[in-house]
Amino acid sequence: MTYRLQRLTWQLGGYLFLLLILLIIAFPIYWILLTAVKPASLTYTAKPALWTWEPSLASFVELFQEYPFHLWMFNSLWVTIANCAIAVAVGTTASYSLSRLRYPGRQFLSGFFFFVYLVPASLLFIPLYVILSDYRLLDNLWGLTWTYLTFTIPFCTWILKAYFAGIPIDLEEAALVDGANRLQALVRILLPIAAPGIAAATIFAFTLSWNEFLYAFIFLQDERKYTLSPGLTTLVYGDVFLWGQIMSGAVLMSVPVLFLYFFAQRFVVTGLTAGAVKG
Amino acid sequence: MSGTFPTQLTRQTTRESARIPWDRRLGLPRDALFGYAMLLPGLALIVILVGYPFGNSIWMSFHRKLIGVPDAPFVGLQNYVDLFTDVDYWIAVRNVMTYTVVSVAFKLVLGLSVAVILNEYVPFRGFVRSFVLLPWAMPTLVTVLTWRWMYNDLFGVFNYVLLQLDLINAPKAWLGTRALAMMSVIIVNIWRGFPFFAITLLAGLQGIPAELYDAGKVDGASVIKRFRHITFPGVIPVMAVVTLLSTIWTFNDFAIIWLLTQGGPGDATEVLSTLTYKIAIGGTELGKGVAVSVTLMPLLLLLIILLTRFTAEREERL
Repeated sequence: MTYRLQRLTWQLGGYLFLLLILLIIAFPIYWILLTAVKPASLTYTAKPALWTWEPSLASFVELFQEYPFHLWMFNSLWVTIANCAIAVAVGTTASYSLSRLRYPGRQFLSGFFFFVYLVPASLLFIPLYVILSDYRLLDNLWGLTWTYLTFTIPFCTWILKAYFAGIPIDLEEAALVDGANRLQALVRILLPIAAPGIAAATIFAFTLSWNEFLYAFIFLQDERKYTLSPGLTTLVYGDVFLWGQIMSGAVLMSVPVLFLYFFAQRFVVTGLTAGAVKG
Repeated sequence: MSGTFPTQLTRQTTRESARIPWDRRLGLPRDALFGYAMLLPGLALIVILVGYPFGNSIWMSFHRKLIGVPDAPFVGLQNYVDLFTDVDYWIAVRNVMTYTVVSVAFKLVLGLSVAVILNEYVPFRGFVRSFVLLPWAMPTLVTVLTWRWMYNDLFGVFNYVLLQLDLINAPKAWLGTRALAMMSVIIVNIWRGFPFFAITLLAGLQGIPAELYDAGKVDGASVIKRFRHITFPGVIPVMAVVTLLSTIWTFNDFAIIWLLTQGGPGDATEVLSTLTYKIAIGGTELGKGVAVSVTLMPLLLLLIILLTRFTAEREERL
């Protein structure tokens, strides 16, 4: 009896705590949306309205009228897609090699990929800046794409390697016995089974590139070459803080990623656990 | 089916005997060359894009390299001597330690609590899990701008709410006061980072066999005892990995601090990454700037080696 009572108390306390946490998560998100659609008169006041009955899209319209916001979105999309394509392709072959084939140096190379993923951007940005400027790749979307590969390739490799390791090798071996070569075994047998893992890797590569701040902030200086990160940052560093527009931009920048996370949650969790839990 | 199989097998054997694969001739295991070939594109890109800059940064730290100046004379350890005698450097070291230790500790405790609750029966668990992950999925920039807006001293919602609740008696400059700035940036880091802990630790918890809990129940173990003897030990390996990862990320975080305070007010939130940026890009002294991040490498290497140990050990057990 005491056991059940004790358990019930803990459960109740736990739910209350969880509710509080959910509120803490929700409020800033609510505040972004509210500021984006709230008329300016309700924003710039010491008594900010916590709700509005007259939502307007004025801030969104101004954002596109006063800034090349469509270019920023396009540039972000360009860099992100180029990055996903290269990183997932290269990461798939590399992780296949590291998880399925045996050769001298495999352990070391595997550790090397992991190590590289953890080399922080704050260490690499200066040499990368020097190299990009030597090759005239500053203000260049390809230049930015190359620098993003420094984290997307090792990350995709790491996730996929863990994912491949969890798939039994028997099916591929059966295919090999039946006369298929390694490449056929990879393309026809392993890849279809590993599709959720590849989806997860793609989502993460997308998110990492789309959300990146430091490299974009330093390597892009021409307003028309900006991606969303440096673009939105300029709105803050203007003389006047246009919070309505900044928050509209924030909404537009978050939508693609949040959409991915909500509708592909299964893959995201797969990837997270493959990466961190299985190592 | 039975007819095709033997013919394929014979074709395979004749082909193999006619041409000895290069793997064998070089004394390598079967398909080793194919393995190297598959690894090559990724490896080549990594060596060019990370290996070269990595080496370059160490080279630069021994030279007086300025933005826009082609000559970079060798100065030996001068950049490091300058740093170690600079009080700003040591303030940044102290700040980054505070920032990292406090943030990671809170993220771990919050993340573990949320994971433990979510591991029990929770209605709409799938939805709740997605929801908890939101702060982590959102672009850092968006998070930081939002918090900066909420912290705003004139129009910010925090001051308004806290004044209404009589918790403060005058609006506070959350990011502009020395005493509050570090706390304010840490809160943002925690908000953004604890979902990663929660979701990965939840996955770790789900890997603990249910029989252990049943056994605990039979033995009449209390909720606290079950946590101490079953949950906690079971989740420790995942916890070690997640904590180390987060430590590395928090230690090197630039975006949150730069966009909230730019290291200010004064040097109250100056950390090594913002100092690097100020010296290298703001002050155009690339060599000295890079020396700041090179001084971090021993610690970083230690963390990475620890992490590799943990993950490698578990891989062996799988």
